[in-house]
Amino acid sequence: MADQNKTDTDSKFYNEVLSPSELFAARSRSHKIPVRGQKDFFPDDSDEQRQRLEQSLNEHWSLISEERVEKLGNLVKATWIPSENIVELQSPAGKFWQTMGFSAGGKQFLFPEEALYLMECGNVQVFYQELPLSIQDGYEKFLYSSTLRLQEYQVFGHLKRLGYLVHRFHPSSETSSYAKQLNLPQSRDRAGKQLKRKRSASPTATSSHTEAQEESTADRMEEDTCGQEGQEDKKLPESHLTISPETSSTQTATASPGNKGGVRTWWMLDDVGERSDHQPASAASRWDFSSISFPDLGSSRERVSSCLVSPDPSLLPGALAVGVCDVDPWRTRINLRDVKMSSKEQMREEEKRRHRSDKDREVRRCSNWAEYRQLMERRQGRRSKGRATHLWDGEVTPLHDPRQPIPTGELLDKISVIKSTHLLEGASRLQASDEWRISFNVYQPDTVADFKKSNPGKPYTRMCVCSFDGPVPDLRAIKQLAFQSGDVLVVFAVVDYGDISFYTFKDFQLPTDVFP
Amino acid sequence: MATEGVETTSEEVPVPGKVSTRYDLEKETELRFEVESGEAVEQIELELLTGMAEVFGSELNRNKKYTFGAGAKIAVFTWQGCSVNLYGKPEVAYVSKDTPMLLYLNTHAALEQMRRQAERDNERGPRVMVVGPTDVGKSTVCRLLLSYAVRVGRRPTLVELDVGQSGVSVPGTVSALCIERPADVEEGFSVQAPLVYHFGSTTPGTNIKLYNKLTSCLAEVYSQRCEVNRKASVGGCIINTCGWVKGSGYQALVHCASAFEVDVVLVLDHERLYNELKRDLPHFVRVVLLPKSGGVVERSKECRRDTRDEKIREYFYGFRGVTFYPFSYEVRFSDVRIYKIGAPSIPDSCLPLGMSQDDTQLKLVPVTPGRDLTYHVLSVSSAEDGEEGARKGIVESPVCGFIVVTNVDTQTQVMKVLSPAPRPLPRHTLLIMDIRFMDSK
Repeated sequence: MADQNKTDTDSKFYNEVLSPSELFAARSRSHKIPVRGQKDFFPDDSDEQRQRLEQSLNEHWSLISEERVEKLGNLVKATWIPSENIVELQSPAGKFWQTMGFSAGGKQFLFPEEALYLMECGNVQVFYQELPLSIQDGYEKFLYSSTLRLQEYQVFGHLKRLGYLVHRFHPSSETSSYAKQLNLPQSRDRAGKQLKRKRSASPTATSSHTEAQEESTADRMEEDTCGQEGQEDKKLPESHLTISPETSSTQTATASPGNKGGVRTWWMLDDVGERSDHQPASAASRWDFSSISFPDLGSSRERVSSCLVSPDPSLLPGALAVGVCDVDPWRTRINLRDVKMSSKEQMREEEKRRHRSDKDREVRRCSNWAEYRQLMERRQGRRSKGRATHLWDGEVTPLHDPRQPIPTGELLDKISVIKSTHLLEGASRLQASDEWRISFNVYQPDTVADFKKSNPGKPYTRMCVCSFDGPVPDLRAIKQLAFQSGDVLVVFAVVDYGDISFYTFKDFQLPTDVFP
Repeated sequence: MATEGVETTSEEVPVPGKVSTRYDLEKETELRFEVESGEAVEQIELELLTGMAEVFGSELNRNKKYTFGAGAKIAVFTWQGCSVNLYGKPEVAYVSKDTPMLLYLNTHAALEQMRRQAERDNERGPRVMVVGPTDVGKSTVCRLLLSYAVRVGRRPTLVELDVGQSGVSVPGTVSALCIERPADVEEGFSVQAPLVYHFGSTTPGTNIKLYNKLTSCLAEVYSQRCEVNRKASVGGCIINTCGWVKGSGYQALVHCASAFEVDVVLVLDHERLYNELKRDLPHFVRVVLLPKSGGVVERSKECRRDTRDEKIREYFYGFRGVTFYPFSYEVRFSDVRIYKIGAPSIPDSCLPLGMSQDDTQLKLVPVTPGRDLTYHVLSVSSAEDGEEGARKGIVESPVCGFIVVTNVDTQTQVMKVLSPAPRPLPRHTLLIMDIRFMDSK
């Protein structure tokens, strides 16, 4: 069929059959697509460039204007139903039916992008109001920004030509992560839906048709529940977590000796039977060392007594009875060697000697450790060295108090201005946006042989189509799409007029190895 | 050294292959003998024939043979006189009349007086810190005093702060142990349910801040125990310390005295330390200077290292390597979190304003498992396997046990460990020690 003769009459169109010689001529034509060559970014006003452009343009024009020759037997008749935005097949479908189209109510349908692609391939002839549509008509009628954008079709066609299987993505067909985690068998409802690949609403959220709208709202509800389920599943480990800190805190409480009266460790617990009824909180100094005689070689130097009386046998193991002990010979044996000290150490010694605690009257007044420590604390407090006041007394203080030691990793987290995030972190709570959506499921070419439309399996990737003119997807959109897609990678197909480039965002961990 | 004593060497009841030597000891004398150190050394057997004798405070049973292996340095003391037989050829063996045992016994008597008073007045018993330079017999004095205390029916607590030569657990730890029976003549105190904290190195100088922190932890837990356990409270505690008595080591001693609120400090053979402590500790603390025993021998570096190794081996294989059968299994890196306590020191000029070097010493630094982990001893912290919250308690959490990494496979991210218990690990927070142990036997 030719692009040019769209105004021809019905009868004439049907009867346009080529003669053998014309057919041969059409067959032997070169089918090469002109090479586009390097891209020129700036017009440099040179004749050379202009000529080159003109030549290339002419080549393209001539290619488009060429009459296309199709085999009548291959053509499947179809009708365009604009109200529903689909194409209904009138004659039995060809081989393409294995991977494209869907049936509903005993009829066979094609999505507009599929129909357009098949038209371009010369497999389908679409009629509207009893008139055949040219490819140009197809582009005009099938592609609306509200249903199927040109870019989306470009990506569709591009992938199809490369051999991939491309299907519309339907959000509800994706099992929720919750169901996946539970390893639920696919629900009957869902399975039924997949058994017959029902017509799904056009990828766009807004659809003119009421039925489609109903369906889409139903889908959305389903999606919502999925979302909730997703949140629940997010909540589960969280609640688990909220339990564990409690237990761990009690555990650490038992482990850390800091809290008194709390839970006690095994080490403190044994022999509780002999628990004392009363224990003075602060042990007063009650030892009368004048009556308790230690064999102190140091002090006996000053005193006269050099003989220890024999200790009370009842104090000794096995009720030993030992005689007196002469201390004198031992005195001479004590290690008296002088310790070599550096001048710095000697200075410190001098300093200490001046602050003899046994001469200190305040210290003398203390009768036990508790009082002594209080005194020391009071003295410490008096000359507590303040930290840099200009840093800490203002309204704005440093991010971290260096006296609180925390692991370097935590510290780095603390000072990180831009927080790193995982793709799926918090994604379940994001609302789906209209601006970004997944358009297609893409399956690999080598799956064509055993591909079933009723059970397509897990797609290879999912396509989100956007344009170079449009905005770059923000983190929110990326997260939301990644969540919607589950464990299938989302690829962004970016269309720059005719050129399509593919981008994807992958989770990766920045190295956080902080150990030297 | 005056070596007197009636020494009659008579060959009676010859044990096949072993020389038997009989020693008759007068009252208040001791027989000292040393067994050669090294591999494949003939063990020495000791038998009490008549009278009564004790080894470091533990009484000997009559007609029972006690075996001592390589490197053992033993003193058999008698209060009333006895005769013993030695089987085998010791490196040195002599009788000495010159022992400070009477002084030690008097010290015990004084402590026992304090315990009586504590019992009467419903107060806590004496807390004793034993200090002194290296190789003066601190551990022996501790053992002696504890054994005497147990023998008169007390339940004292041994607090082991000597991270180099721990008598309770593996080296690199500080620990506390309730003593309920006298030390076994061969094995020492039976180690049942000690309270152990991870220090990670054999000298307190590597991280003095952590050392002091752990001392405080032990003191706190001990005090809590005293509150609920009257007997432990009256029994008091005996604190064994490191031989480091200068600079920070001395400060650590003062800190320990304050943390435990000690009542008595026994200074062994170091007059200067005695005077310093007398000056720096408050007046109500009794500081006592005691002589060291003439039998104390200086241990070489190698000897200390061997004892450390032996202690770790004992942890896994039991006394003399025969009683326990450790397990060996693989642990995935992803299942455990390994930390080192104390960040490496950085120059002061690189530190933020107002921060001092000490602040990094208590930091937990995650350790990336690698081949250099091999042979390191790891402590299994009893801290819950929580996330952030629990991490703060790791330093102050006691240790449930130790494992040794015997092999690291970086390919499969798995390490093989030697463990006293079968898998799985009770907890998944591991603390790395500087100490390494090669399972060579």
